[in-house]
Amino acid sequence: MKKDQELIQDFQNGNEEAFNELVRRYLDLVHGFFQKLTNDEMEAEDLAQTVFIKLFKSLKKFRFESEFNTYLYRVNANTANTYFKRNKWRNILHLDQMVEPSFDDNQQDREWKKEELWSAISRLPKKQRSVVMMRISEMLPFKDIGNILDMSEGTAKVNFHHGIKRIKVLLGIIE
Amino acid sequence: MNFESKIRQILSDSDRTIDKEQFINNLTKVRYKHQLKRSQSISSVLAICLIMAVSLTSYFELDQGIIHSSGNYYFSDGNMFHSEFDQDNFIDNDYLLDDLVIYIMEEEDDIWTAFTFLDEIEFDNFINYMEEES
Repeated sequence: MKKDQELIQDFQNGNEEAFNELVRRYLDLVHGFFQKLTNDEMEAEDLAQTVFIKLFKSLKKFRFESEFNTYLYRVNANTANTYFKRNKWRNILHLDQMVEPSFDDNQQDREWKKEELWSAISRLPKKQRSVVMMRISEMLPFKDIGNILDMSEGTAKVNFHHGIKRIKVLLGIIE
Repeated sequence: MNFESKIRQILSDSDRTIDKEQFINNLTKVRYKHQLKRSQSISSVLAICLIMAVSLTSYFELDQGIIHSSGNYYFSDGNMFHSEFDQDNFIDNDYLLDDLVIYIMEEEDDIWTAFTFLDEIEFDNFINYMEEES
């Protein structure tokens, strides 16, 4: 099995099938990320498509200065941020209509909570949002998150802490 | 359970599989559509540039700087063809006219009729010539 780097080199030499192989390899990861984020199958597929189209354009100039994984997560985070920006007002309006939130599994429907949770995440500042997204959906270590988002491990931790605190406030869990 | 774990638990049932080959086919179609759109945009931009270049060239060719003076417009004749109306041909035309008048004088039986005709057309070069001769 070829390594990612070899596939990218093949793709840069004009082999489009190498790109398709990369798509097969990483589709579950990308699609899963957006599936969690949007809670909508179609929207997740559209966003995954956006990510791979961006990759198709940018991989031709990829200089192997970072791991492909890191690069892919960065593209994911940017695409997610664009998505949140696009839906900002919709989410804000939706949050305003919230009923009393609760994190007790017996009281609330899981789907409903998921939607509220992402609405709250979408209202975070960009850095906090990116860190929280990567931590809760991909369960990445803070060190990797720092690498992906060009910040130190400590900064990633601080951003996560502030982000979670803000989500709790937005969901009404703490004042 | 801490808050982070609760959030993960909420999101845990989101993992669904996707048909990879179908996705790749769709992706390829979308990519080709994007490429087509891109080349159409490039063609449009090039066409607009070409039209603008031709328009500007035509404008600068036609507009040789109109001068407006005393209510009159003056145009440059820099690009006009040199025709029989240029300065040299005007001189040649004078000689031709003189020759024509001499021919009329010689051919006309009654010289006074010829003089009357020349007087009517206000041609006096020949009369001056005759006076110089005499």
